[in-house]
Amino acid sequence: MASNPKEISNEDVAIELEAWLDAHWDSEKRCEKGKDKLDTKSWLTTLLEAGYAVPTWSSDWYGRDYNTKQARIIENILKSRNVIGRSQDRFNLGAVTVYRMGSPELKQELLPKMLTGAFSCLLYSEPNAGSDLAGVRTKAEYVPGKDGGEYVVTGQKIWTSNANEATYGMLIARTDWDVSKHSGITFFIFPMKQDGVDIRPINQITGESEFNEIFINEARIPARYIVGELNGGWKVLQTALAYERLIMGEGATERQGKDKSKVHPLVGLARRHEKLNDPVLRQKIAQAVAYRHLNALNMRRAKAEIIENGSSSLMSLGKLAMSRVQHGEARVAGEILGPAGLFDGEAFPDSADMNFDSAKSYMHSIGGGSDQIQRNIISERILGLPREMEVDRNMPFRDVKSG
Amino acid sequence: MTTISAEERIAMRDSFARLLEQRADEEALRKAIDTDAGYDPALWQEMADMGILSLLVDPEYGGIGGDAILLEMLMEEAGSRLLCSPFISTAVVASSLTGASTNDDMKSQILSKIVAGQLTIAIAMTGEKGLWTTAGVDVTARQNGDSWQLDGNASFVMHAETAGRILVIANVDNEIRAFLVAPDAPGVALSTLKTNDPTLRLSQITLSGAVGQLLEGVNGVAVDHAMNLARIALAGEQAGGVKRIFDITIDYLQTRYQFGRQIGSYQAMKHMAADMLVEVESATSAARHAAEAFAKGSDEAQTLVNLAGFACADAYRDVTAQAIQMHGGIAYTWEHPAHLYWRRARTGLWLFGSSDHHRDQYLTQLEAA
Repeated sequence: MASNPKEISNEDVAIELEAWLDAHWDSEKRCEKGKDKLDTKSWLTTLLEAGYAVPTWSSDWYGRDYNTKQARIIENILKSRNVIGRSQDRFNLGAVTVYRMGSPELKQELLPKMLTGAFSCLLYSEPNAGSDLAGVRTKAEYVPGKDGGEYVVTGQKIWTSNANEATYGMLIARTDWDVSKHSGITFFIFPMKQDGVDIRPINQITGESEFNEIFINEARIPARYIVGELNGGWKVLQTALAYERLIMGEGATERQGKDKSKVHPLVGLARRHEKLNDPVLRQKIAQAVAYRHLNALNMRRAKAEIIENGSSSLMSLGKLAMSRVQHGEARVAGEILGPAGLFDGEAFPDSADMNFDSAKSYMHSIGGGSDQIQRNIISERILGLPREMEVDRNMPFRDVKSG
Repeated sequence: MTTISAEERIAMRDSFARLLEQRADEEALRKAIDTDAGYDPALWQEMADMGILSLLVDPEYGGIGGDAILLEMLMEEAGSRLLCSPFISTAVVASSLTGASTNDDMKSQILSKIVAGQLTIAIAMTGEKGLWTTAGVDVTARQNGDSWQLDGNASFVMHAETAGRILVIANVDNEIRAFLVAPDAPGVALSTLKTNDPTLRLSQITLSGAVGQLLEGVNGVAVDHAMNLARIALAGEQAGGVKRIFDITIDYLQTRYQFGRQIGSYQAMKHMAADMLVEVESATSAARHAAEAFAKGSDEAQTLVNLAGFACADAYRDVTAQAIQMHGGIAYTWEHPAHLYWRRARTGLWLFGSSDHHRDQYLTQLEAA
């Protein structure tokens, strides 16, 4: 595994990885050296054992004890060589959650699987628990038995992407109905491939079906698959959600700025439709592009602050800022197209894209915590303003109204 | 070429912040506003002693050889206090243009006076259209034997009434040149323009055959460079100001009670505050990245200066406007500082190029990218 963790210089991090890749990875064929095609599981295992899948993690747990800056160096090199399985300490939500909050036994059992292709979907939201996530009504009941017994789960989850491909689900379920809503929730790693799990696709306003509804009927979870404490799931969830928002705020900034030669799509669209000289549209295009640019600059500052101080409150602004970017760009695209925006389909690709993006923007402003919830979080956790009053906060969950 | 280190920049910013805390609080600000000069000459002298005025001057000429990054940092401090002074005219634009001159005697004479705090210089750049680009120059100069004579109008000239010299940008056969003019010279007529922002002093200058001293070697490129520095300074000032008025507002949301609750506990207020924070941080990012790109001579510098030119101005306008709304009646009084920030913010919407102008230029930069 890692040699001399922590004391290694940034230059040596790069040199060491380049040498390792030269020996193990074929950038041309995009597979392991000496093989003809990619064996995903085998490659991910090789990457994991070398400590390059999760470089910021402890060397006791597949990592290299690297700092954020060193991890970015690794990420950039792996990206430039088309290596799959990189930066799982940032993007593999299930593994990050287990690593941060799971018991040593759970980490031992699940991390090797989760980091070599057995990834996780999210089982948080329910039809009656969206923004008010602590109102979940999926129940998990303990049944004694061997290996510490198991939980029997019944309920309905919604807005799960990649449910069919996932091996595990990150599940929150109610384990105590007689305490207040936040105090009776437990966080589980839920085995998806079992009877009692019925996955049905949702038809979305974009025409896509990325998300699913999950109907769970007396499905089983080993009791040792609890993350954190029994009835302590709300705390675990907060950490897991923070990671998710971080990825959402950051991921969407990458269109502009990095590749300077690439003209922003709105400029290209206006040029194609001969609207680049319209002074009113120029103002709107520039403003839309600027919002994306400004968020990228905020994120650049946030990363510098994280490297300097270990954290940055700027990160929390990204998701809210990106909602305005997504909706705004789609709106301006519509204004560039004019009445041609009425058309759709393959014969009208610009119109079809614009109409698709207009609908898709809601995924950003609703999914992963709506803009309104984000504003609560920013005002309470960053600005320190008082919490909103919640009438159901301190009553037994059994008595809470739902609908 | 700058030799100043990151530590030196921070040390300088911190001393400047302490100076302003002691000498430029709200009481001092209101006192300065009520004077004819519109600024505190004693504080100006202390800024000179601290090296603030020599920020952009080469060490060879007694300056500290700072860069746009340091300039932006200092302006955040100045902006948070709504500092009134001829700083941008004298220590940014005039310093930069004089520094670009090839006449070494004149250069060293002028810069040494600026550095010592003995000379303030007003910038006569734009005509009545207020464009602040070389295309907006409305003064022409012609050579008459050994001397130059200037004719035309310059408006929006800051702190001209107290300036020791006026630096006039003029056209000479479709080329941009710069001249120093004595405000009391024959052919120079100066009239004060009443402003909405009491922290701002503006005049109009009419030149009728006034004699000007050519600042040799200064051309359109040097003027564009100096104006970009002025825009970075203004963006920094706006970033500092918007942060301060935002902090004042958040503090008020925590301490003001209505219906038995802190008003900051209402979502109507919290959601406004969250949106405002995005604006505040975006303005800060825009100003700092523009300064950094400019200091490093990056290809993106002009794009980022234009971005900061509208993003900081618009954020300042929007946040100050919301700040008054969120304070309610108390901020509708002259005694409350919110309107002073709001007025300064509105000044920034037009000064050194309007937001719309910068947005258009930003897009022009992106088209070329």
